Amino acid sequence: MDINALKGKIEQEISSVKNIEDLEKVRTLLLGRKGILSEYIDRIKTLDKEERKIFGREINLLKQWTEEKLREFKQFYEDEEKNRRELVTWIDISMPGKTPVTGKKHPITQTLEEIIKIFSTLGFSVAEGPDIESDYYNFEALNIPHDHPARDMQDTFYIKKGVVLRTHTSPVQIRVMESQLPPVKIIAPGAVYRCDSDVSHTPMFHQVEGLMVDRHVRFSDLKGILSIFIQEMFGSNTPLRFRPSYFPFTEPSAEVDIGCVICGGRGCRVCKDTGWLEILGSGMVHPQVFRIVGYDPEEVTGFAFGMGVERVAMIKFGIDDIRQFYYNDIRFLSQF
Amino acid sequence: MRIPFEWLKDFVVIDIEPQELAKRLTMRGLEVESLEEYAPSFRNVVAGEIVSIDRHSKADNLSICTIDNGSSILPVVCGAKNISKGDKVPFAMIDARLADGAVIEKKELRGVTSFGMLCSERELGLSDDHSGIFILEDNAKLGEPLEHILGVSDVVFDISVPPNRGDCLSVYGIAREVGSILDQKIRILPFLLEAEETGNIADLISLDVFDLAACPRYVLKMIQGITIKKSPYWIRSRISKCGMRPINSIVDVTNYVMLEFGQPLHAFDYDRLRGNRIEVKLTHAPTVFRTLDGEDRMLALNDLLICDGVGPVAIAGIMGGENSEITEDTKNVALESAFFNPYFIRRTVRGLGIRSEASLRFEKGIDIDNVDFAGERAILLMHKLSGGKVVKGYREVYDKKELNRIFVSFGKINEILGTAIEQRDIVGALRSVDLHVMKEEESGFLVSIPPFRYDINEYIDIIEEIARIHGYEHIPATTPVTAVKTLKRDKKENQAGIAKDYFKSAGFNELINFAFFSVKDIENFFITSPDERASCVNIMNPISKDYEVMRTFIAAGVLKNIAYNLNRGAKSLRFFESGKVFYLNTEGLPVEYPAVCFAMTGREREYFWRDKYPEYDFFDIKGVLEGLVNCFGLDIHIEKSMEPFLNPNKSGDVFVNNEKAGWIGEIKAEVLKFYEIEQKVYCAELRFDVIWKMSRLNVQYTPIPKYPQVTRDFTFLIADKTPVSHIIEKIKGVSPLIIDVGVFDMFKKEVRSVSFRVVFQSFEDTLKDETVNALQDIIIKEVTNIDGVMLRG
Repeated sequence: MDINALKGKIEQEISSVKNIEDLEKVRTLLLGRKGILSEYIDRIKTLDKEERKIFGREINLLKQWTEEKLREFKQFYEDEEKNRRELVTWIDISMPGKTPVTGKKHPITQTLEEIIKIFSTLGFSVAEGPDIESDYYNFEALNIPHDHPARDMQDTFYIKKGVVLRTHTSPVQIRVMESQLPPVKIIAPGAVYRCDSDVSHTPMFHQVEGLMVDRHVRFSDLKGILSIFIQEMFGSNTPLRFRPSYFPFTEPSAEVDIGCVICGGRGCRVCKDTGWLEILGSGMVHPQVFRIVGYDPEEVTGFAFGMGVERVAMIKFGIDDIRQFYYNDIRFLSQF
Repeated sequence: MRIPFEWLKDFVVIDIEPQELAKRLTMRGLEVESLEEYAPSFRNVVAGEIVSIDRHSKADNLSICTIDNGSSILPVVCGAKNISKGDKVPFAMIDARLADGAVIEKKELRGVTSFGMLCSERELGLSDDHSGIFILEDNAKLGEPLEHILGVSDVVFDISVPPNRGDCLSVYGIAREVGSILDQKIRILPFLLEAEETGNIADLISLDVFDLAACPRYVLKMIQGITIKKSPYWIRSRISKCGMRPINSIVDVTNYVMLEFGQPLHAFDYDRLRGNRIEVKLTHAPTVFRTLDGEDRMLALNDLLICDGVGPVAIAGIMGGENSEITEDTKNVALESAFFNPYFIRRTVRGLGIRSEASLRFEKGIDIDNVDFAGERAILLMHKLSGGKVVKGYREVYDKKELNRIFVSFGKINEILGTAIEQRDIVGALRSVDLHVMKEEESGFLVSIPPFRYDINEYIDIIEEIARIHGYEHIPATTPVTAVKTLKRDKKENQAGIAKDYFKSAGFNELINFAFFSVKDIENFFITSPDERASCVNIMNPISKDYEVMRTFIAAGVLKNIAYNLNRGAKSLRFFESGKVFYLNTEGLPVEYPAVCFAMTGREREYFWRDKYPEYDFFDIKGVLEGLVNCFGLDIHIEKSMEPFLNPNKSGDVFVNNEKAGWIGEIKAEVLKFYEIEQKVYCAELRFDVIWKMSRLNVQYTPIPKYPQVTRDFTFLIADKTPVSHIIEKIKGVSPLIIDVGVFDMFKKEVRSVSFRVVFQSFEDTLKDETVNALQDIIIKEVTNIDGVMLRG
């Protein structure tokens, strides 16, 4: 038997394979039960013992070689097929995705919610009052009598004699103290109104008022609570200072400044070269206010504070014109 | 209040930089808002004396002066006419630089060499005066740099004085605080100049004060034979730095002393006072009076006037009259130094709408103890500046009051402040601001309050002074020791939050508008009385016509915002606003309610490369509404609306549990036109209070069914007038096993063909076909019983 001729024939058959179907045919032809190799193997039996031994080994090697070769071919065609299929299902993953359509809360709301959240964790609950307020709650009960120069500090919108648009959220202090006994621990967010309009004033803006009344509330506690708030709101490294100020309904009164976030305290246009930004007003509740609401200033003390929400938002977001909040330009609103 | 640093130094030794002092004043509650630096705009100009003046032989209008500058005598050619031998003048030497940048060189002027230049005030950048050479005061030291003589280098503090600290509206008042800050004693430089006295005031003028409550102290002093001049530079520069305008050597003194000691003064031309008398009295009838600014002022009842023997000559504490003001020709001056009750001044200021530097101080209250002293200071300064003779004596009315005394317990101070300040430090701190402790006991002390401290009325004000002087920065930050109280969260605030979160996730941007709008907006929406939205709350002093009333609904503002954004390139918008609306109730009293408005225009997206997006229609806004009320555990139903601003076919009134909560629909084109909007806008507005009071926010868990659902589809032909909602209700009513009914298709040929998907679910067992089939038959029978409904074959 001519092994070399057989090998030549096998090689010739394998080289004729062009695709996976050809491959299966050739496999049958070469390795099938009635294939060429089987035929040769059958013929081995007719050989003598010595020849059978030699020839059998040769045939076996040839069979292994053929199987190996066909496996390689099969792998090749399968890979080719896989590649072809992948080409058909390919997508350009760099095409734009479909973003869900969502909205934004107004930056004033976002700021207000953050302020409320911080004070909630400090145990303050939310109270509210009317926007249309009596002269009594807005001024008189806050120790600002008719003739008081402090009335000039706030340009008031009048509805009629004795009825105003509240110029601050402080009347809520009075309403809360009139309706409940100490201890009191509230914040009062809401819109307030002053007739003023320029780069730093709008006729309506928002404030958050805070009030804590109990036995033994100290000025140092006010400093403690507001320090926590400022650090939560603007970051724990924010420098802050308390300096004396004047409000008719608190005594002692303090203005709270934070280190200018624009220049880092070196001095710039925004902080008028002082390195500080005014952020809120505060103080110990004036004994006269306690007398007015029927609390005994010998029994309880308390502190109050108030801040402009727009002011906080302007500092937080770096907005330089307060009127931006009220144009409601979508290009502004969608930034926050 | 503008305070020059150099002026402060008249009263107190300051050994720190102006910037540092500014910081410390701010920490004392006297906020320094800005520092303005003054620097000389000239260089190398010294005081020189004119030794001789000779005519220039070749030029008539020039003269040759020889100038002694202390070290040499130099010739200078000069064109000015106001100089004479012996005058001290600013001498710009060779290499000197003037305000306009010009550098002085040696110069030949018609054959004569000039070794410098004599300067006017304008050439030195000191004022606008270019009428002649600036003549210096006689005591100027020859050769001394001019900037030293004039004190040109300075820093002016702009201090925001709190409204209760009128005592700080003067250089002296601020100096008192500076003294306390620096632990320095305040000194008043000796100004009791030698003045020749003449006559007796008793022979010249009489004084009557008719209302001691309005004017508890009034002092008159006089000077005779003065000459009105321009004030010397040092007075004018200090007045200018404080923001006032120099006028003449009499008026400037009144302003100077006011700025210095906080006592407003008024100078009358004595010869123009009729009847040689001054009367201080309240008006008893409306009076017209011409003030020195030439305006006729209408005085009401009980305005405080200064009158002569015939009629008013000044509005007390506010402004003098034209009829008695100081002129170029004034020779004899009657000087008023008085205390007017702040209440009367404030009332008149409000009534007349005029305010002056004087009234600003009287309104806040001045130091009644200082009235005579300031008058004395001024009359002597007038004598120095304008010559003449001071009249002996003074006229005075003084209703002197006892000083207020306040007791403060030591314990209370540290208890309220949260500090541990020692007793002796407390006493020292108070003394540093002229609050003297009268009596010190174990438990506390009695402080006497000087009359200029209007801000100190009770113990807490003393405690504030102690905190202020101790320094807020030295007060510790502590955590309150307080009784635990359960938190009561405001339900309303919480519910507004739910709605805001919902709108945000639904793709709506939040708006915040001013809570006022215009009556025009009500008209634009065709809303008329008796609709409550037509009875709006008026603002008496609106900031503009656009904001003249409180809004009675939100939608108008939302339309304005839509228009604003469409005009700036936006095509599709989804907005919501939650806020208050205001009406007058049936009794005419203002009431306020929470409301929410939301609107959409355009389409969901402008484009996405894979999909197409139709324009919004009624069902988009309706879906948003349904989603909103679902957040509150509620269902709504919608009925035909009569709202005058809505398209009647594409709108409805919104009901929650049969209570009207608001409206929804397409805004009429006529309304949109008023807001210049040309595309369709779908909008809804609800009263939040109606939603909130019915909300069901407590979720109760329902077990998840163990058995499979069965769905069946039905298609009915439905006449137009029959609402699909009736059919859905009918199907739901057939059996509790029906847990959901949806509409999955609708098309119309002659009649509407509507397909419903019905979901059956049992919680007890697997539904058998027979059961569902039986229910299916009932559904068909029930539904086709409705008028105008047929099963599609």
